[in-house]
Amino acid sequence: MHAAFLAIAAFFLAPFVWLFTAAFDAHAQAYIRWPEQLTLDNFVQIFDRYAFATALQNSVFVAVSTMVLTVCVVSLAGYSLSRIELRHKAWITYAILLLQTMPLSATMVPIYGLARELGLRNSYLGLILIHSAIELPFLVWLMKGFFDSVPRHLEEAAWLDGRTKFRALFEIVLPVARPGIAVAAGLSFLSAWAEVLMVLILVDQQGMKTIPLAFYETFRTAGGYTEVQYGLVAAMGVLYVLPVMAVFFATRRLMVRGLMSSTRGL
Amino acid sequence: MWAFYTSFTNKALVGLDAARPRFVGLDNYQRLFSDPDFATVIFNSIVFVVGSAIVGQFVLGLLLAILLDHAERRRYRFASIAYAAVLLAWVNPTVIAAFLWVAMYDFFHGSLNTGLQALGSAPVDWLGQFPMLAVIVANIWRGTAFTMLIFLGALKTIPTDIYEAARVDGANAWRRFWDHTLPSLRPIAALALLSITMSTFGTFILIQTLTNGGPGIRTETIALYAFHEAFRSYAIGYGSTIAVVMLILNAAFAVLYLRWSRARA
Repeated sequence: MHAAFLAIAAFFLAPFVWLFTAAFDAHAQAYIRWPEQLTLDNFVQIFDRYAFATALQNSVFVAVSTMVLTVCVVSLAGYSLSRIELRHKAWITYAILLLQTMPLSATMVPIYGLARELGLRNSYLGLILIHSAIELPFLVWLMKGFFDSVPRHLEEAAWLDGRTKFRALFEIVLPVARPGIAVAAGLSFLSAWAEVLMVLILVDQQGMKTIPLAFYETFRTAGGYTEVQYGLVAAMGVLYVLPVMAVFFATRRLMVRGLMSSTRGL
Repeated sequence: MWAFYTSFTNKALVGLDAARPRFVGLDNYQRLFSDPDFATVIFNSIVFVVGSAIVGQFVLGLLLAILLDHAERRRYRFASIAYAAVLLAWVNPTVIAAFLWVAMYDFFHGSLNTGLQALGSAPVDWLGQFPMLAVIVANIWRGTAFTMLIFLGALKTIPTDIYEAARVDGANAWRRFWDHTLPSLRPIAALALLSITMSTFGTFILIQTLTNGGPGIRTETIALYAFHEAFRSYAIGYGSTIAVVMLILNAAFAVLYLRWSRARA
């Protein structure tokens, strides 16, 4: 049993061990080894020569804006779907779910065409809108589930007290649904932070690059196509992956529960 | 909708057709289905999905869930490390996953070949000789956590008293697993299977980064094909046609998925 778990952990961890040792290695190789010479030089170089600061700024801005926009939209949409009586509501909720199952790679060609015609290429607005749209259907569904579990009489009592529907939502319902909002915020941030395909097709200006694009390009072109600058790319990778690990492991229980509840609700 | 319309035109990114796309009816569809590459691409997609989603992520995920569920009751120390490792591989951005595996597979200095040479055998050109196997393994590494989480959740909902009863009846561990655990996992298994099939079907960045569809078109799946036609050959109209075919295939999976999940509810 112990051997089985050790083998599993080794298989899944080995690439990360390499990533973190290579990033601090003055002469990083593609294989795992303890750095002969520990150095921060790789990190200095990516900021000096590869404009990593701009990419970092862009990524943080896009991911945070996406998170804010997504949370606002999915809270309101989820609440409406949970409370308002509509004809064919089951069909609407299933249609929303159906949208989520469409792979991005199937929609990238039409998204590219639309963005070009609407002038949304190389623009923050375009990136934020498209990144919000990616996880939107799933998160609406998730929030609907959370609101369903908030008892109706809470807000009905608030209405009787003379509050408007909006005030009742903000003061009574949203605080109760806080775990749901946290999950939605975390997931939308992570998805916008990690998404690369849309950035790849929508951005070609240097100043607009986000981390995944900078990473991808350094990896593919710095040092030519034949030789990868492993140390530099690993340093970028470390900075790119650390926030993901931090967000995910800080909220791990909540996230896993949120994901599970959503799959159970399917 | 834009995709549907464009798939009927000969729109291109450059040249005369870019300025004035013409309506070409079903020409793109005819071209697609008589394209010898397209048959290979479909075949590659099927191999990739069956290998990495159905055989890999599903079986390994189920196995991991059973092991971890078992370990949780006994409190094994390494189990939680293994659990965290699987999750870590899942949450990290796809470009990172792809890059890590490029380094693992590197011919001259990659961890895999360095390991092989230390054991005294010749290095293997992973991405050149076994490109499909290489992308499948990388995708298994990245995606197994999802199935594992789903089955872990499902295993927790199985009431323990049926095991007690079976034990009293003298059923051994294997019988208990075969008669009680597996049947109660069946409904969620169907959903997990379809769901990973859909997400694997759309895999793009991982393959693009690892092999770019190559060598030749040996790992070119339908997602990469749409991208390459639309952006490398600048044939947006034709690319849209491929995208529409993808969307239709995917919608078929999705409808099946909703049917099954509603039958459960």
